Amino acid sequence: MDKLSAADLTIDVGPTEAGQPLRVTWLGKSADRSPATILAPWFEKLLAEAKAGATVVEMHFERLEHFNSSTITALIRLIQNARNAGVRLVMVYDQNLKWQRLSFDALRVFEKGDDLFQLKAAQP
Amino acid sequence: MNPQSDEFSFIINLPVRNEWRNVDLLRTSVQNCFTAVFADLDGCHAVSMVTGELLENALKYGDWRAADPATVFRLRVVGGKGKVDVSVQNPIANELGGAGKLLQTLEWIASYPSAEAAYRARMLQIAQSEDPMEPSQLGLVRIAYEGNCALRASVDGAILTITATLEL
Ligand SMILES: Nc1ncnc2c1ncn2[C@@H]1O[C@H](COP(=O)(O)OP(=O)(O)OP(=O)(O)O)[C@@H](O)[C@H]1O
Ligand SMILES: [Mg+2]
Repeated sequence: MDKLSAADLTIDVGPTEAGQPLRVTWLGKSADRSPATILAPWFEKLLAEAKAGATVVEMHFERLEHFNSSTITALIRLIQNARNAGVRLVMVYDQNLKWQRLSFDALRVFEKGDDLFQLKAAQP
Repeated sequence: MNPQSDEFSFIINLPVRNEWRNVDLLRTSVQNCFTAVFADLDGCHAVSMVTGELLENALKYGDWRAADPATVFRLRVVGGKGKVDVSVQNPIANELGGAGKLLQTLEWIASYPSAEAAYRARMLQIAQSEDPMEPSQLGLVRIAYEGNCALRASVDGAILTITATLEL
């Protein structure tokens, strides 16, 4: 899986190791006019790869500086698509940053008590 | 926030260049200015997030068809005594829907017992929508929830002003 590099945003992908989660790290900021144009096809590949390798996707946001509301919409669609594909998705955010706490806590409406989608608060 | 004096203001009046990258340049300028004055980083991020969402909307939904240099877009950030007002002005046109959708969105937010409830409801609607190209319509309710803001809009002729008031 290649990393995603857009104007101010990089999404890094760690090496794939058998039995280990696929570690995906957001860096910079996501403030495109329509971020889904680049994110949606990239997410699609990511889910296909995770499904093929039966790996968990662990997505880290702690180092992300800012995202706009359209990026949040793209993430909601990712959560739905991962669930539909049966891919386990974990999102990790920085509990010490109020904006991350508020944005990601609200996404708990998509936790269904199974382990397909989970949010983890990190204290870096 | 611990303002060193009660009153502060940060006013920008800009002739618009309808370029998307200006949204983030202005958003980060506001963030940097506030960070230079206040110690509360969470509050600075909230002010800059609100600024970014309002500027995005001004660029996306303003009537920028006229190449008239007198057509300006205004950003104004003013505050004191634990409050900050972020206002953005843009021209609107009836052919483009005027302020109707914006006012509807504000009424929709107000119909919920809290901004948080409205935000969660909008997220669930997005998750249920079949059309991935449907407008996300999360920006204003995000301002209300995450920025803990009261929002108000007014129209004067063809100019729309939207103001978000943050309690710091
Ligand atoms: N400055 C504005 N001028 C005219 N109409 C506006 C303005 N701001 C918002 N609107 C209207 O209000 C609606 C809601 O705005 P909101 O920011 O919540 O969502 P969005 O811009 O559609 O999507 P998102 O912000 O999630 O990317 C917009 O779709 C638009 O119709
Ligand atoms: Mg918007």
